[in-house]
Amino acid sequence: MAADVQAGRGGEEPGGGLAPGDGQHGERADSPTPGLAQGTEPGAGQEGAMFVHTRSYEDLTSPEDGGAAARSPEERRGEAAGPSSMEQISKDFSELSTQLTGMALDLEEEMRPGKEGKLEPAPQAARHDSVLSGKEEEDVTMDAWRMHRKHVFVLSEAGKPVYSRYGSEEALSSTMGVMMALVSFLEADKNAIRSIHADGYKVVFVRRSPLVLVAVARTRQSEQEIAHELLYIYYQILSLLTWTQLNHIFQQKQNYDLRRLLAGSERITDNLLDLMAHDPSFLMGAVRCLPLAASVRDAVSTSLQQAKAKSLVFSILLSGNQLVSLVRKKDQFLHPIDLHLLFNLISSSSSFREGEAWTPICLPKFNSSGFFHAHISYLEQEMDLCLLLVSTDREDFFTVSDCKRRFQERLRRRGVHHALQEALRTPFYSVAQVGIPDLRHFIYKSKSSGLFTSPEIEAPYVREEEKERLLGLYQYLHSRAHNSSRPLKNIYFTGPRENLLAWVTSAFELYICYSPLGTKAGAISAVNKLMKWIRKEEDRLFILTPQTY
Amino acid sequence: MLVGDSGVGKTCLLVRFKDGAFLAGSFISTVGIDFRNKVLTVDGVKVKLQIWDTAGQERFRSVTHAYYRDAHALLLLYDVTNKASFDNIQAWLTEIHEYAQQDVVLMLLGNKVDSAQDRVVKREDGEKLAKEYGVPFMETSAKSGLNVDLAFTAIAKELKHRSMKLPNEPKFKLHDYVKKEVRGSGCCRS
Repeated sequence: MAADVQAGRGGEEPGGGLAPGDGQHGERADSPTPGLAQGTEPGAGQEGAMFVHTRSYEDLTSPEDGGAAARSPEERRGEAAGPSSMEQISKDFSELSTQLTGMALDLEEEMRPGKEGKLEPAPQAARHDSVLSGKEEEDVTMDAWRMHRKHVFVLSEAGKPVYSRYGSEEALSSTMGVMMALVSFLEADKNAIRSIHADGYKVVFVRRSPLVLVAVARTRQSEQEIAHELLYIYYQILSLLTWTQLNHIFQQKQNYDLRRLLAGSERITDNLLDLMAHDPSFLMGAVRCLPLAASVRDAVSTSLQQAKAKSLVFSILLSGNQLVSLVRKKDQFLHPIDLHLLFNLISSSSSFREGEAWTPICLPKFNSSGFFHAHISYLEQEMDLCLLLVSTDREDFFTVSDCKRRFQERLRRRGVHHALQEALRTPFYSVAQVGIPDLRHFIYKSKSSGLFTSPEIEAPYVREEEKERLLGLYQYLHSRAHNSSRPLKNIYFTGPRENLLAWVTSAFELYICYSPLGTKAGAISAVNKLMKWIRKEEDRLFILTPQTY
Repeated sequence: MLVGDSGVGKTCLLVRFKDGAFLAGSFISTVGIDFRNKVLTVDGVKVKLQIWDTAGQERFRSVTHAYYRDAHALLLLYDVTNKASFDNIQAWLTEIHEYAQQDVVLMLLGNKVDSAQDRVVKREDGEKLAKEYGVPFMETSAKSGLNVDLAFTAIAKELKHRSMKLPNEPKFKLHDYVKKEVRGSGCCRS
């Protein structure tokens, strides 16, 4: 196994690059087709994007977020440590953590070949919440509990358990106490703990006052990516409470038991963690669209646009975890993270299948201080088509419910109902449609639209573990490409079971997986062919003309 | 509108009434409030019930409060196998008093009577509390279906009588109707 990695920033590259001449030209020359600057790549919207512009997860570690994580509470209270020294500390830390990451990667290389099957018990520990008998949780003293690939813990700064992915929070209160002690110990020195790497495990800490989030993982993900997942969990909690309420509560009472307010939401958080292990949307920081003929999608979007109300901010139609259409208020942009949280909410509960739900929801990246109210309903029982209407007004249920009725009526009148049903029958396309024999799977993300496309995962990735292994490989490539201290543009990875190639430009990201017998030259020509195919199919695979009310 | 602590069986009661089925398996908590319709025929007249199923958790209180005042009838549930849910009934009644309409139809239901072994709230306790507040009371089971239809039908009858107000029809007495129709949970009860 070898990873042929090229560090590519400007012209530093030693040559032998993936795309002919890449790295010697400016960024525009990055693509095989001429003129692929950001905004013109396949999948880029024609009339601007519908999302807040994000740069994948760099966005998450931007100064706004990342700075807060590195800061100690003393600094936040403005008591000690001038900014310059704090900057120095956090700089030291980022250097330190890179070294550690390097070490861990070597460890991973050792662990990697074929051992995974042996090491991993099935990640099945379904949670049966029962209010009566308490949760039927695993025994945290058992080996099976220790063997989980990724544990996630959330605690308050008082060391009180808020959430644990496996096992009951009560049984883990002393463990969480130790975690808080570690955090506090370093903070006493005006420092911050970011991660511990040992024995194939990564223990990653994310500090978002008044909460501390900790992951203990044996996955191939980088520290950065695990921290990114923890942030998703943090945002998930905010979406239930708002940042304002969360802070208010802990200001009033430092040792508050937050589980009281989060009761019944464990399933949503569990589901988010499971989803992140399966769905590349979170890794890509982008949204996947349901493949749909442009004419049908336009008709759906227009119907959605016409069924508006004063209080509506976003109308979203989705199927599975794929976007069918999104209409937004002028000048209001949704953040992909917020949309992912909405997708997760819907997929985590079967209670939306019937009736119409009306629930307060905070979209933390849009506005972490207030609640929107979401109307959630499925269009038809048998159809996997969920309508989400996001309103600013708590009292507006009946108005918004009427919007749904009007939307359905228009859909019927336009006669696209049947076409939509047809499209839902094949929600994923096969990679065979691209016509490249060695190509097994790919992920292509258009950076300007925040949308990505990816075929169904097919043989040989049939079993769940195999699918997760493939996503794990993508995660690995992604983490190398986006390493904050040493980002890479092109990565060619040869493994015993498949070869992978990653290509990151300012306009798009492409990850392809193909046969282990394929050659590098073959991969490069496959990329060219694939890019042409995506361009040809872009109006089916992406939403090119996003609508506003 | 169905109200009561989280996990007392509000959604299960509604599903039993609406679809005649019992939601077995794991507990799924309702998110926010959930709106469903059901058309009933009461004394030859069609009555459309618009039913709000609410989430029992604290964090959803603000939404439920907003919709109390539109409710014509409230079914307040507790779980006979969970003492805390019964103890909270007083708090619920205070809340109802504060937010709901003055003349709202109210009924107290002790759910899950099928779990006889786990029962911790006696039928008499429920009756006593209901009497204290002057509300009709019955024990139900979403699992076996005991008294489920009766609870909703009684509400529907009361609402129908209120809205039609036929002059020469005798006034519908919800209390008496419930007393007459209610069935006990055990075999030895009348």
